[in-house]
Amino acid sequence: MESGDERFESYLREFEPRRPRGLPTVAGARFDWRRFAAAAVLFITLGGTTWFATHEKRMRGVEGMTDTEVSGKSTTKRITAFSLTRTALENPKQLDAELTEDSRRVLPNFRGKESTLRVLAKE
Amino acid sequence: MKGGFDRASDLAERHITADEVRRLYDQHGPALLAYACSFVADAAIAEDVVQRVFVKLLQGRIAVPDVPLGYLYRAVRNTALNVRRNGRREMRLDADSAWFAHRGGDREAALALQAALAELPEEQREVVLMRVWSGMTLEEIAGASGVSLNTAASRYRYALEKLRERLRPYRKGEGEE
Repeated sequence: MESGDERFESYLREFEPRRPRGLPTVAGARFDWRRFAAAAVLFITLGGTTWFATHEKRMRGVEGMTDTEVSGKSTTKRITAFSLTRTALENPKQLDAELTEDSRRVLPNFRGKESTLRVLAKE
Repeated sequence: MKGGFDRASDLAERHITADEVRRLYDQHGPALLAYACSFVADAAIAEDVVQRVFVKLLQGRIAVPDVPLGYLYRAVRNTALNVRRNGRREMRLDADSAWFAHRGGDREAALALQAALAELPEEQREVVLMRVWSGMTLEEIAGASGVSLNTAASRYRYALEKLRERLRPYRKGEGEE
C-alpha cells in the first residue's frame, strides 16, 4: 500500500466513531431456566396425574371384584404343590374335597344335557 | 454488496457466547454504529439498529459464521434498511447526529467525513469502515463481503480517493500528497 494511503488512513483514524450505549442485560440464560422450570412443573403434574389415575383405577378394580372372583382367585392361589402336599399329609379328606371342587371348574363336565360325555357318546 | 458466502469457513455457523457478543460489541460497536448511521442518519435510530442486532445475538437466537464480522455488517445493513423502509429515515447531519468525533476537536471535519461517507456507494463505505475502524485486512473484508480480493482492494482505493478529495480542505499542512 502506498505511504500516502497509510498517512490518510492514520488521518481517518483521528476520527473516532461514536461509542454506542452499553448493551442491555438480556435474560437469555434466565429465560432458559424459566422454560426448564415450566417443563419440570408440567412433567410432574402430568406424571402425578397419570400415576394417580392408574393407582385409583387399580384400587377401584380390586374393590369392585365380586366375592366369587376373589374366592376363585384365592382358590387358585391356594392350590399349589406345597399346599396340596401339606393338606394331603394333614387332612386327606379335605384334599379330596378341594380337588373335587376344583375339578368342577377345571375338568370337562360329565353331567347335564350338554356334557362332554354325552356329546362324545352321541358321536 | 453481494451477500453470498464464498469460503468454507463462512459456512460453518455456531452460536456465540454472551461474552463473545459483548467483546464484539465493545470492539466493533462504534464502527457498526457509524455504518448504521450512514443508512439512518439519526444516531438514536442507528443505535437502536445496532443494539437490535446484538441483542438477538445475546439471546442466542442466531447462529453466526466463524468469522462473524461480515455477518454483523450485513445484519446491521439489513436492519437499518428495514427501519428506513418503514419510513423512519431522517437525514439530518447536524451536531446532534454526529457519529464521528475528531480527536483534535475538529467538528467541521467530523461532519464532513460523515457526509462524505454517506455519499459513498454502499459497498465502498462498508470496505472503508471495515478496514479503518474495524481493523480488518482486505482479505478478511473480501471473505466477509463475498467478493474477490481485487474487488475489495479496488473498492477501498476508490473510496479513499473520494474521501481524500472531500477532506482535503480540513487537512492542515498535509493537503498535498
